[in-house]
Amino acid sequence: MEDEQAMDKAPDSISIGDMLPSATVVGLIFSIITFAISLAVGYYEISSEPSGSLFSASTISGSIICLVSLLGGVLAVWHFVKEVSPYIKLGQGAALGFLTGAVMVILSAVYGEIWSFIDPDYTDKLVEATIANFEAMEMPDAQKDAMIDSVAGSVRQQSSFVSQVLWGIPVSGILNLLTGMVGVKIFAKKEDEETF
Amino acid sequence: MRRFSNPFLYLFVLLFLYFVLITSMGELLWGTVPPNELHWTEKLFFGLCHQLPDRTYTIDGAMMAVNTRCFGIFLGMAAGWTFIPYAIRFTAGKRWPILILLAAVLLQIVDYLGNLVEFWQNTNHSRTLLGVLFGAALSISVSDLFLTRNKNNS
Repeated sequence: MEDEQAMDKAPDSISIGDMLPSATVVGLIFSIITFAISLAVGYYEISSEPSGSLFSASTISGSIICLVSLLGGVLAVWHFVKEVSPYIKLGQGAALGFLTGAVMVILSAVYGEIWSFIDPDYTDKLVEATIANFEAMEMPDAQKDAMIDSVAGSVRQQSSFVSQVLWGIPVSGILNLLTGMVGVKIFAKKEDEETF
Repeated sequence: MRRFSNPFLYLFVLLFLYFVLITSMGELLWGTVPPNELHWTEKLFFGLCHQLPDRTYTIDGAMMAVNTRCFGIFLGMAAGWTFIPYAIRFTAGKRWPILILLAAVLLQIVDYLGNLVEFWQNTNHSRTLLGVLFGAALSISVSDLFLTRNKNNS
């Protein structure tokens, strides 16, 4: 009876331990999906002839990965509501979203490290393919050079594990924090002090 | 009785969104670096934004850290979040904020695909504008969660 009453409202304190399973499950699935997409697209670019188009496969996959990453917060709250408690407060949903974003960044960096052992030349080959594609574009040389410097520099300098985690968590976290709130709005049940 | 709830969460997110917005300005606000170096603000957004120079606002060689669509989204989120205390009276109990958010997402997809298959060509300004719409809709869609009503006092 007491348990039933307790289930009728959101627990005042949900610990990180309570949130971690939802954040980990969603983070694990999403990071695998996004890493698999980026790898598949990366190898496709490496093996194909430079098209000279601004809309390369990696540009398109980048947009898809970005959108998929933002859904993490919403789905983590959905998982929490389904598996742990149907009641979750706004702040708790926000924290869960942030945690999910952080887990996704960390796991993606881990997969990257693992892949660098499996195929140590992957990053270099991808940079070369990207440069070849830019060189095939029809645009002024100065603009072309700026794009090559920017993209090649980005990939090489951002490839370390610590760099990916330290720079990736704040923005990914805050964006998933917001979508975690959207998840609370869509999936959480209202309690005694109702939100409407 | 209605009251604004979670004020600290609101302020925390507000500050963080403005932090994201001003860091997204990149070299326009934070100084330039040599072409083969990555600006610290670009590192922040590396995993989220393709950062193609052709699709990024540039002034006198100084470039933003994110492309125009992402900048629009961050601008819209910060602006929408700022107005939550005012918007709340119009959004409480209404479904239109979620419908606007869905419409904004749909517009992004349609604009992206239309440009991809060359039905039309979007521009930096049009991408920014649609980004602002999506970002503002995202913030406003959660606004009524900051309004609570105690049943005992209603």
